[in-house]
Amino acid sequence: MNKQDTAKGSEPMVQIKNLSKWYGDFQVLYNINAQINEGDCVVICGPSGSGKSTLLRCVNGLEDFREGDVIVEGVSVKETSHNRGIYKLRSKIGMVFQHFELYPHLTALQNITLAPRKVSKVPGQETEKIAMELLERVGIPEQARKHPGEMSGGQQQRVAIARALAMKPDILLFDEPTSALDPEMIRDVLEVMVDLAKEGITMLVVTHEMGFARAVASGIIFMDEGKIVEQGDVESFFKNPASERAKDFVDRVLVHI
Amino acid sequence: MAFDWDVIWRNKYLFLGGLSVTLKLFVLALAGGLPLGIILGLGSLSSRRWLYYPTRAYVNFIRNIPLILVVFWVYFSLPLISGRSLGPFTSAVVAFVIFEATYFCEIIRAGFQSVSKGQIQSAYSTGLTYFQMVRYVLIPIAIRRVIPSLLTQGIVILQDTSLAYVIGLREFVRTAAIVDSREVRPLELYSFVAIVFLVLCLVGSLVVRWLEARDRQRV
Repeated sequence: MNKQDTAKGSEPMVQIKNLSKWYGDFQVLYNINAQINEGDCVVICGPSGSGKSTLLRCVNGLEDFREGDVIVEGVSVKETSHNRGIYKLRSKIGMVFQHFELYPHLTALQNITLAPRKVSKVPGQETEKIAMELLERVGIPEQARKHPGEMSGGQQQRVAIARALAMKPDILLFDEPTSALDPEMIRDVLEVMVDLAKEGITMLVVTHEMGFARAVASGIIFMDEGKIVEQGDVESFFKNPASERAKDFVDRVLVHI
Repeated sequence: MAFDWDVIWRNKYLFLGGLSVTLKLFVLALAGGLPLGIILGLGSLSSRRWLYYPTRAYVNFIRNIPLILVVFWVYFSLPLISGRSLGPFTSAVVAFVIFEATYFCEIIRAGFQSVSKGQIQSAYSTGLTYFQMVRYVLIPIAIRRVIPSLLTQGIVILQDTSLAYVIGLREFVRTAAIVDSREVRPLELYSFVAIVFLVLCLVGSLVVRWLEARDRQRV
């Protein structure tokens, strides 16, 4: 799934190889195989319970898995999960959550600067400067000294995006970033995400926002019941889904666009 | 029968001394009990069995025996084992820390469990280590949520300090008893002690109420 025709040459950013996961006896991911190259914006969609969020969390080691592996920039997630390397790996992967998950006891600025200060050991003044720039970039510099409890959902999510960007990640993971937002705020957040995609940041986005997918995604993965049912080009997925299941999904979703 | 409030004034330095012992014991019990309670709370949530089982055994044992037994044990029994006597004040501090930490553990553990998995995952997702997540995210959020319970426990501790009476510690209540043995004015003396405790606990409540109001948006 290359965004540009000129291939970057080197290995893909993220390789998911034969990934299978169980919760106890219950299998939630079945032999997942996928590849994300640098600059790609891949959308993962599918019905609830299809394992999309779980898959995302396997990429940065927040969930463990029994079989297979995820290779991120040449590093095996399975191997680094057992040692401190996982912390370093995670600092290169940013993640945005459905329920924002900002630290309620800290201001927007402090939320953004915490990891750069403690993980990357960047001095305070510099992190503040970077954080203010990021807040400008997501359009809400005036929220800098406010706490999450004083912000709307859309503002919180944009702070969350800034927080993820603060560590200068090579990849951004989005787990249904707009699902918990009021309709008026969805656009604000999607605009930020579209900008990021256009800048060429590698993104893996679990979302129901098919308009976003059609606008900027370089590839789409459709999942159902823990399996990848279809993956590939965005337009051909919407215009000509190969499987019955995908056809059914697209029909229902396109009604809303 | 007339009230002789002067008996208090006449012995004011003794009372100030007794009060300072009570307050010192209280502060040290908090200073030791809270951090130990946090550690025990973390141990109680650990998936590592060699941490979890000893922690729970200790917490459950201490919470099911009276404080006075722990005080006695530290003051009388421990010297038999270690060969050294700690003295009433140090014994009281050690006993209180050992005891109160288990109560703080249960309060803080509830606070920890109230922090959502998503919150913890988001901290990890930025590259924070376990200890960084605990220090900068888990503990600050959890403590803010259980401030009312921590306050209640603090008030209990302040009042429990009077228990150290039994090992001869010259805390506030014992001071009143000492004065009373000389002046025989129990009504005034113990009323005075009660009023002082009342004022201290009320002030503590107001401070915590202020903290809660300030943190309302931050929980």
